[in-house]
Amino acid sequence: MAAPIVAGVDVGSTTAKCAILQDGRILGTSLSPVGVDIVRDAERSLDAALVEAHLTRKDLAFIAGTGYGRYKVRFGQLVITEISCHAKGAVFLFPKTRLVVDIGGQDTKAIRVNASGEVVDFAMNDKCAAGTGRFLDVCAGALGYDVSELGALSLAARKPMKVTSTCTVFAESEVQSYLARGKDPKDIIAGLHASIANRSLSLIQRVGIEEEVTFTGGVSRNEGMVQALNARLGTKVNVNPLSQHIGAIGAALFAAERAAAPDAGKVAA
Amino acid sequence: MSATATPTPGAFLGSGRERQKQLVDEYYARLQTAGGPKNPVAYAFVGGNLTEILRAFGYEVVFPEIVALNCAIKHESLPNILNAEAMGYGLDICGYVKNDIGMHMNGGQTSFGRIPKADLLVCSFSGCYVYVKWWEALAEIHGAPMVTFDVPYMRTEKPYKEDIEYLVAQLREFIATLEKKTGRSFDMAELKRTLAHSRRAEEGWAKFLQRGLARPSPIEAYFEAVFYMFPINVLRGTPEAADFYELVNKEIDERIREGRYPVPEERFRLLLEGVPPYPHYRTFWDFFKKWGAVSAVATYPKVGGLFDLGFRHDPSRPLESIAEYSLGAYVNQSWQMRRKIIADYAKDYNVDAVVIHGIKSCRSFTAGQGDLREYVTKELGLPALYIESDHEDPRYFAAAQIKNRMDAFFESLEHRRKVAPMGRLP
Repeated sequence: MAAPIVAGVDVGSTTAKCAILQDGRILGTSLSPVGVDIVRDAERSLDAALVEAHLTRKDLAFIAGTGYGRYKVRFGQLVITEISCHAKGAVFLFPKTRLVVDIGGQDTKAIRVNASGEVVDFAMNDKCAAGTGRFLDVCAGALGYDVSELGALSLAARKPMKVTSTCTVFAESEVQSYLARGKDPKDIIAGLHASIANRSLSLIQRVGIEEEVTFTGGVSRNEGMVQALNARLGTKVNVNPLSQHIGAIGAALFAAERAAAPDAGKVAA
Repeated sequence: MSATATPTPGAFLGSGRERQKQLVDEYYARLQTAGGPKNPVAYAFVGGNLTEILRAFGYEVVFPEIVALNCAIKHESLPNILNAEAMGYGLDICGYVKNDIGMHMNGGQTSFGRIPKADLLVCSFSGCYVYVKWWEALAEIHGAPMVTFDVPYMRTEKPYKEDIEYLVAQLREFIATLEKKTGRSFDMAELKRTLAHSRRAEEGWAKFLQRGLARPSPIEAYFEAVFYMFPINVLRGTPEAADFYELVNKEIDERIREGRYPVPEERFRLLLEGVPPYPHYRTFWDFFKKWGAVSAVATYPKVGGLFDLGFRHDPSRPLESIAEYSLGAYVNQSWQMRRKIIADYAKDYNVDAVVIHGIKSCRSFTAGQGDLREYVTKELGLPALYIESDHEDPRYFAAAQIKNRMDAFFESLEHRRKVAPMGRLP
């Protein structure tokens, strides 16, 4: 009998991610923006991944929702926090992971995990989006770039500027002030990345630095940020083209565990 | 990764909670006619308070911290806070202070009655400098005299002899001041009678708190105990307070007989540290209850005194025991002492984890809680969660963020136990 096909839907503050898995193989994924109608966005995320996997909803044995919008994944049978899901997903992709650094749209998390992908300890930023994807969005706007361009630009920096990381609004003012002084935007961007890496380090130290580190969340797609984190931690963090989907993959893995349990699927969605 | 669906968090509460509500109502009703030379009002802080002495001189005692938390739990604090901020009190200033000042500038009105002006302000806890400034502001607003009872921080498990002498000397001065203000002679026999009532209440309160030692715990040592802090702090020295705890303890016996527990299935036993988020009390409680988590022990209900650790007022040593009491309040302990109390509680009450709730308002209570978390995880080897909001200002409670952290924490506790019951999360 074929292993059940399961889905994990991670509805974050900025994007929705979905991963469809069967027996540890990823059959399809999707990435889409989150707007005001979170229920609809979650559904679209699932449907887009199903299209990529050439499947329909009827093929799914179990669906798990995660992320801030997890309670809006109404078609799912399980809700679980993204902290557990990132831990699970990171150990799935990189089995030796012991520390996950997740930088998403509005959250930065440091998650210490064990070999089974279970959370040992975690720390998060508190009611402030400084040092998160939103921080980069705002500063990219001030520089006149799209956030997706920042990574490549920062790699060409020659003399990174010093940018504080205590407040997104103040950092934006700093960026404007550097621009007014004629500083090279590439150096400013490299400074922004270094400032996020510094801020992340303080969170990481709260849970304890561990070998090996997996970098997840939307900001992990930024190569400049990866390098800044490598420099700050003195190690080479794991990244994967699916790093942004690790929460959704983790949710799908939890869904698979439930689907394999004797009374799985009997819980009404 | 499952949480149990339960009815309202306080559904297990019975006659104790009903009686506590009655006592609160009667107290605020009494305050409506209090004030002035015949029925003077003294303001005091909860920590290390001198209620028995004030009561022996006929004072009605008002605790602005308790008035403030009553405002917060009834969702009345924000207009008072905004009123104070409009006067120039900054965002970082304690929410209790701003609630109180804002309320008094509005005639002392609350939905539970008018709070009378002070005839005397007794700054009974000097560990927090904000308290001194709060009382100075009230002294100006009410035109009332202020006396300060200078209580040194506890640096050791037992107080120094010199500390006791220093406090007893201040108490004698305080009594002389009260004799002058009231025109009444100090009646030591009356103080001893009052202290005997206190002692009986303390026995009952300690017995209640220690019920958390049982597994499952028949009490909620944080959310429930907070309700029962009112008689031990506000009405201590009266027979009503002492009778109250006898009633509560009878109710706990009933609960055990009837199998009526704070949660239907005790899945996690917790130690809670920190002041509650009163403006979102029920929501916060619900976050625990849905996971089958019960606090078997908590530090906050001990802010008025560590009675469960053995302290009792002693009518045979009246002033000395009041001095010892003032030194022994939880908030007056050094961090070294607080850590020891927490380590002992964790062991004695056999808890699974520690949850620390820090508040923006109060640095004297909260500063050091980050290090406490480190101590709990690294030295005690227990999982610990630190979350933050405020005890008075509803604007600091980010429900989604707090719930996310708590859900993740309980998920991780479940992983540790390899417990994976089926079911949909709340």
